[in-house]
Amino acid sequence: MRQQIQTAGEIAAVKTEEEDETSSLTSTEASTDASEADPAPDTSLPSGAGTGDAGSPDGKRPVLGLIALIAAAVIAVVGSWWWWQAAHDDQLAAAQDRDSALIAATDGVETINSLDYRDPDADLAAWEDVTTGQFQDGIAGITDSQRQLLVDEQKIATAEVVDAAVLSIDGDEATVVAAVEITVVDDAVPGREPTLKRNRFSAQMKLVEGEWKISDLKQVAVSLS
Amino acid sequence: MTRVRSLLAARLTPFVLAGVLAIVGVYGLWQSHELRSTAAAENLAVVDASLTAEIQSFVTTGLNQVLTYDFADPDATTAAADQVLAGDARKEYDTLFVDLQEKAPGQQLTLTAAVQSVAVKEATEDSATVLVFLDQTSQRATDNQGSVSAAQLSVTVEKSGDTWSITQLKPL
Repeated sequence: MRQQIQTAGEIAAVKTEEEDETSSLTSTEASTDASEADPAPDTSLPSGAGTGDAGSPDGKRPVLGLIALIAAAVIAVVGSWWWWQAAHDDQLAAAQDRDSALIAATDGVETINSLDYRDPDADLAAWEDVTTGQFQDGIAGITDSQRQLLVDEQKIATAEVVDAAVLSIDGDEATVVAAVEITVVDDAVPGREPTLKRNRFSAQMKLVEGEWKISDLKQVAVSLS
Repeated sequence: MTRVRSLLAARLTPFVLAGVLAIVGVYGLWQSHELRSTAAAENLAVVDASLTAEIQSFVTTGLNQVLTYDFADPDATTAAADQVLAGDARKEYDTLFVDLQEKAPGQQLTLTAAVQSVAVKEATEDSATVLVFLDQTSQRATDNQGSVSAAQLSVTVEKSGDTWSITQLKPL
């Protein structure tokens, strides 16, 4: 790396020399280049600027300072106000809520529709993690004999949410609908092709200690009315 | 020397202070911009209640009309399609419709669509993607056979001028 930089410097130096020799018009440019590359002081440059400023009439400085101060104060007030407003904007907060509810629902619906008979306890524990309230109680209440039934069925269900969207949000409750594809592998019948089911779900979400949990999950059945 | 220094300090103080205030202000403006330009903030779905309701009502009536078909009155469906559909959705619909026109009179087919829910996933003032659950009932008068099917659709709508139209219909 260092080697490269040195080489680049050398090339630049050579270029400057060439320019110096070839054209008198570019010679000013070349000398500026040289002063940048070479730390040797260039006496003709800025040291005079400071003294020139100090020499300006005394009365102008405070006025200028005051103007700058007022302008900056205005920027500060406007900037802080906008920031405060954005940070306390209800619609922005609701947008965040909507998105986190959707992410939690997508994850939760997939979890609840997935079960592997080889380790149902782990999956049921995961179900409990993504749910709340009575719905969670129902899962926690699954008995050992019911678990055994799941094992005996020898099915592996894997759910994927194809699409989902928030239907409504009201404070700490939200309704999310999801189109779900569930793949079921039946190990009781070896060699059988996995079956594919398409379902539509409506999930009631509830905000519990900052996290959205499923408080109810229903299939959206066809209405025969 | 000290006099010069204090004089210099007195002169510079307003500028230093102004600099600090300007930095605070610019930082605030930048922060508010950051907060308002996230993907979540730019998506008006659900949070803009009137826009969301407008989209939901358009998609509900639109799809109910377009996906309802009576062999005795196919023109009603075509007229609805002219009003509601555009772009890719229109092209796809036309190919489906040709198919339907061939079978329907012989079977005396009627299709009735009932949109169950329209959830707006993403929305701006003039475009949106929505998830639609709908049921379609088909009836054949010839043998009195009927069936109900459940459908899930991903629908894209766009607004030009004052009117919305469905530009994409994707069965899920």
